Amino acid sequence: MMSIITTELLSRNYGTRVGIDAVNLEIGEGEIFGFLGPNGAGKTTTIRLLLGFLRPTLGRASIGGLDCWLESPRIKREVGYLPGDLRLYPWLTGQTALKIIGRVRNVDLREDGADLADRFQLEMDLRVRKMSRGMRQKLGLIMALVHKPRLLILDEPTAGLDPLMQAELANHLRELRAAGHTVFFSSHTLSEVESLCDRVAIVRQGHIIADETLESLRGRARRIVELVFPDGETAARVQLPDFLKLNRRDGCQCYCELAGPTPPLICWAGQQAIEDISISQPDLESLFRKFYESSLEPQ
Amino acid sequence: MMRGLFTKTLHEVWLPTLLFGCSLLVVNVLLTHVLPQIQQGLGGMFDHLPFMRSMLTALLGTELGDEITARTMQAFLWVHPVVLALVWAHEITLCTRMPAGEIDRGTIDVLLGLPVSRRAVYVCESTVWLVSGVLILAMGLLGHRIAAPAMPEEMRPELFRAGLVMANLYGVYVAVGGIAFLVSALSDRRGRAMAIVFGIVLASFLLNFVAQFWEPAKQLAFLGVMEYYQPAQILHSGNLPIGDLAILLLVGGSTWLLGGEIVARRSICTV
Repeated sequence: MMSIITTELLSRNYGTRVGIDAVNLEIGEGEIFGFLGPNGAGKTTTIRLLLGFLRPTLGRASIGGLDCWLESPRIKREVGYLPGDLRLYPWLTGQTALKIIGRVRNVDLREDGADLADRFQLEMDLRVRKMSRGMRQKLGLIMALVHKPRLLILDEPTAGLDPLMQAELANHLRELRAAGHTVFFSSHTLSEVESLCDRVAIVRQGHIIADETLESLRGRARRIVELVFPDGETAARVQLPDFLKLNRRDGCQCYCELAGPTPPLICWAGQQAIEDISISQPDLESLFRKFYESSLEPQ
Repeated sequence: MMRGLFTKTLHEVWLPTLLFGCSLLVVNVLLTHVLPQIQQGLGGMFDHLPFMRSMLTALLGTELGDEITARTMQAFLWVHPVVLALVWAHEITLCTRMPAGEIDRGTIDVLLGLPVSRRAVYVCESTVWLVSGVLILAMGLLGHRIAAPAMPEEMRPELFRAGLVMANLYGVYVAVGGIAFLVSALSDRRGRAMAIVFGIVLASFLLNFVAQFWEPAKQLAFLGVMEYYQPAQILHSGNLPIGDLAILLLVGGSTWLLGGEIVARRSICTV
């Protein structure tokens, strides 16, 4: 798979404050890439470097082999961008936006724009100053999507969208992926990217602390195991193996965290006086919480 | 590409430009209409308030002599603080739009998210500024011409000489606009940029004014753009002060170029 976005030791400081530090990313074409991190972690800084708004303090970023700082206008011919803090001109309507973007890009976007407006249920002749937050977000999405960009950079795109529109957006992004387009999806909530992305990178305090597929992350995530013993005394006496960490004991029930795969647990459980056992789905939320917590070193 | 940028810029500036132009037209009609009365009253005013002569000398940038001629009174129109304030307010509003205005209102991300270079946006904004300057001054001149038939014959302006004054005023317009683009290029806040440029223009105006009375200020007068604006002399001689105009264009051109380079090379942060 060819890379569309490459960053090498990409760094950006704001005076003495670190925005991002030595970020290395490689994003292939036709991928939906989740970029996760808490507020202020460096997600927007990375995006602004990719779009050529900021000059890197160190390192390099390229899109489609072109340098993001030096060849930004050329790069943006094939990029659609939705800013995280979207601000639109108050006088703008959907129609005017399509006219201006069409003239800048030298293509007639009215038909595709109308299709997207139907899909996202947006009145195209309403001025931005009269739009709700969600409507403005829809217009921003239409402006980013309308020219069918090869690469779509979305900074927290679901902000202000209702659940139905969030689902519609997710469907649209899946269609784009199927057509070979790439999506760079920045978010601070896992649930958004979990069902959509092929791969995620987690950024914290300007550093990439994880960059792997969701499958691999799920493999690393711990599961909650609930063991039910015949009585409280047996539950209290049981010797748990190393891969099970006791969280809580409640009478004849033990709640544990499973580290690693399930077969060893099943082998061990077969030799115990256990009446029932249940194993939860991999708990990605708590894994991500650990990534986010600065006091922990997850890797 | 440029067509799209011009569409966007014109969408935003046509109304303010029209309003400033109409205001200038109306102000010039009124001022032209009252100039004969002002001239008649000036003699008495100078007797009672001698400092008024110095003030008018300072405004016009030339010695009035014993008599206020009809031509000198025409020049008064083009140095009137309301006229200058309207011209400058218009251009300071326009010239601080990019990048300071776009960053300040947060729309820069949408604008630069399009496949446009910063230089292209800067050139587009500058073209609109230069063209609208011609329109604004033309409307001012039109106001003057509309009311001119009501003036005594010896006070009526010659179109050629009035055109030369316009050329000189346009030089001031270019110089102030170039400075405004430079300040805007260095700023993320439009209000701050506008205040700085307004401060520079005001300081220049006051320096030119004070230099008429105070010797130390006279030595610094060359630093102000108003030093190179001489409507009374132009109306008197019928010659364009090429040297003054060249200085104004040089100041405007160099600050504009510097502003463009800064816009192209600076990082655009959010505020």
